[in-house]
Amino acid sequence: MTLLRVDQIEVIYKRVITAVQGVTLSVREGQIVGLLGTNGAGKTTTLRAISGFLGIDDARVTEGTIAFQGSRLDNRAPHEIAARGVVLVPEREKVFPNLTVAENLFAPVARANARGQHELAFHFFPRLAELRSRTAGLLSGGERQMLAIAGALVCQPKLLLIDELSLGLAPAIVDDLMRQLLAIRSELGIAILLVEQSAAVALELADYAYVMENGRIVLDGDRKRLKDHQDVQEFYLGQARGERRSYRDVKQYRRSRRWYG
Amino acid sequence: MFRSPPRASGYFRTGYAQDLRLVQTKNEWCAVLSFTAIAVAVPFVASPFLLDLCCQIFLASIGALSLMLLTGYAGQISLGHAGLIAAGAFTAGILAREIHAPFWLTLPASAVTGIVLGLIFGLPSLRLRGLYLAISTLALHFVVIYLGGEYETKRGFSTGILIDPPSVLGWKLTGGRAWYFVLLVFAAGTLLACINLLRSRSGRAFRAIRARETVAEALGIGIARYKLLAFVISSAMTAVSGCLFAYYRGFVSIEAFDLFLSIQYVAMIIVGGMGSLLGALLGAAFVTVFPYAIETLLGFLPNAKTLAGDIFAVNYAAFGLVMILFLLLEPLGLVGIWRRIQNYFLLWPFRYRPLAGARK
Amino acid sequence: MQLLVNIVVLASIYSLIACGYVLIYRVSRVLNLAHGELMMLGAYLLLATASLFNATPALAIAAAILLSTTAGVLVYVLLMRRMTGETVLAAILTTVALGILVRGVVVLIWSPQQQYPAQALHVTNPTLAFGTAHISTWSVALVLANAAVYCGLFVFLRFGRWGMRMRAAGQNPLLAAQRGINLHGVYALAWALSTFTGSAAGMLMALDSGLTMSLPVIALKAFPAALVGGLDSLGGALLGASIVAAAEVMLIYYVDPLLSDVIPFLVLIAVLIVRPWGLFGTREELDRV
Repeated sequence: MTLLRVDQIEVIYKRVITAVQGVTLSVREGQIVGLLGTNGAGKTTTLRAISGFLGIDDARVTEGTIAFQGSRLDNRAPHEIAARGVVLVPEREKVFPNLTVAENLFAPVARANARGQHELAFHFFPRLAELRSRTAGLLSGGERQMLAIAGALVCQPKLLLIDELSLGLAPAIVDDLMRQLLAIRSELGIAILLVEQSAAVALELADYAYVMENGRIVLDGDRKRLKDHQDVQEFYLGQARGERRSYRDVKQYRRSRRWYG
Repeated sequence: MFRSPPRASGYFRTGYAQDLRLVQTKNEWCAVLSFTAIAVAVPFVASPFLLDLCCQIFLASIGALSLMLLTGYAGQISLGHAGLIAAGAFTAGILAREIHAPFWLTLPASAVTGIVLGLIFGLPSLRLRGLYLAISTLALHFVVIYLGGEYETKRGFSTGILIDPPSVLGWKLTGGRAWYFVLLVFAAGTLLACINLLRSRSGRAFRAIRARETVAEALGIGIARYKLLAFVISSAMTAVSGCLFAYYRGFVSIEAFDLFLSIQYVAMIIVGGMGSLLGALLGAAFVTVFPYAIETLLGFLPNAKTLAGDIFAVNYAAFGLVMILFLLLEPLGLVGIWRRIQNYFLLWPFRYRPLAGARK
Repeated sequence: MQLLVNIVVLASIYSLIACGYVLIYRVSRVLNLAHGELMMLGAYLLLATASLFNATPALAIAAAILLSTTAGVLVYVLLMRRMTGETVLAAILTTVALGILVRGVVVLIWSPQQQYPAQALHVTNPTLAFGTAHISTWSVALVLANAAVYCGLFVFLRFGRWGMRMRAAGQNPLLAAQRGINLHGVYALAWALSTFTGSAAGMLMALDSGLTMSLPVIALKAFPAALVGGLDSLGGALLGASIVAAAEVMLIYYVDPLLSDVIPFLVLIAVLIVRPWGLFGTREELDRV
């Protein structure tokens, strides 16, 4: 059952800069979908387009549709989209820095009755229970990411959008987070759309993944297909076949990459 | 003219000297000369009321140009403009009254007052930006007004200081026509000074500071120096306009320099269009003519008699309303409207400029 | 002793007005320079309701408060909402222009003469003795109202659900929106609270000493109080108001009565030189341009 359907969207900043063009993707119930790509590929913009822009950036979805369980999401206000069950964990500024951990979890507006939601958050992230009265701005990177995901859980999402899960975190902490996300998916049945620069992490977690470049999707497939794909191995997983080559060879090869579409 | 927009007729410059010329094409020469001719001919055909209006516009333009220089180009928000005008006017008044100083002494003295005050007003800008800078200029404005009020009451001029008409080399400056030409020369001089300043290295530094201060500093532009320079030059010009204002009215009183005057000047540059000298001129004309236009409009309304007594309040309300409308609907100001009209004719039958021309 | 009483009363006036500035700034980063004029509108609305309900003063006051709070919400919905995302200067100037508009309209509807709502409501203002000092009844009411408002606001912002959401929206508006907080609702609430406290101050002052066109000037003098304490700190506003009030009363008494209008701004300049973000403000505020 398709939860989210993004169809050929085009996002334009400040009326002149096209950040994303012709992007089509879909997320099914209970699925974890990955969105890979290097810097500037348009992944964060796609997530922001789904979760709604606030007038500040002067960005709009100018073409295409975004539909969640049948109803249109594009160009709606962020709080309306959150109310429908699509919640974003942003890349930067992911917590309220001057509120305590407990206040961070009380501030969000849940979709329905919020009773028990905070217990759920502490159930998945027991470390946060110990830090209840710590100011959020003083948390470490890993704790902050945990708080960000917990804050999103409080909103009772059906689809969780996570931007850059592993950015700036130690591998052990990333493993921990991955385990928790899988637990969240299996216990609560929440679907996850995950944006990741680290292809290794993404392909660990995701059932299905899309690769973006320069604002377009260039490749998609399930986990096995992408892991075995020579170009993904070469450019995203760093597993070049054969002996060392000179940079010049690599550059030339880049031009004849076998992207589809 | 000085931003060199692309010209539809394909006019190309072939040398740096040509690039630096103020007036470039034949069309521009025609425009400048005809405008000068009209400006010179006006006082011989206009009524005294119109002459007075033009004089007021010229006075306002000097202040508006200097504020545009400071806020529109160097990006330093200043809400204390009325304080600077008051300082210039009071310098003239005090010197004329206390030591009977002649005009050719009070004018430079006002400029010096402006320079000193500019340094004081500009010091906060080294530490503060945006909102806090605006607040600090507001606070300094109140301090200046207080000092002026203190002088008035302590020296017994509670109704204001009377000033004799200025005389230069034995020739007395009285009469609408004479004032018109004198003020026209001052306003034109200010305009030329601003144009040249903006074409120079300082002007480019101002623009850089307004755009991205940290980057400008990283590029080696001395931020403190250029910010203070902007304040000092702008304040000197404003104080001079205050001095002229004092002589023109023949009368200086602290009540004329309230917060509303500061707001009017800021309105001039906003309504005119930020970041454009033409905008300063258009804005000055608009705000100066505004009260008279409202008065005339009121005359057309059926119940004019009842409102006539409250003309001041009607002015206030109308001014606030028009300012809100401009801020909401036309943030680029009158210059924006003018450029849109220009573009319509330049680009017809096309509607949009190609992407490179994102002009302000 | 009388000096102390005067300081307390003036500090209460300033802090009640200052919390209006702080509320809106803390939640939406907008400086509402029309606060004084909206305060004046509230006091004049009391005059209007007084002529309707002159038998029951309490009802008149309640009605006036309701009307002025609605006016504050309308200001947000019709005007300030459209200015989100614009530059600092544009937002400030919009409020300034609004203030000018409101002032003009108020003079047109009611005349510019001094009015006495207390007379219209048939309430008296007896002077009470407090040791060796004298204080009028409505001034006492003002001090008590100020204390009540601050206690209420502290509790609401600290422990109330929507208070927490207001604080969150002030720190990180985008994240707040993404967590389901309706920003427009939060901002409208901030404007409502701000106008509520402002008009309460205006009405109490009008009942105490009459209503003139110079009421907004007092609000402009209270603004440095808000800044001295830190534009996003309520506690700071209280402290700042006390400092400014103390300075003003003492300097008027010991030095020169003409100083009264300029002292708050001298204190402001001093604070801007030494500690621009105020006593309790968050430092990051400074770099927001």
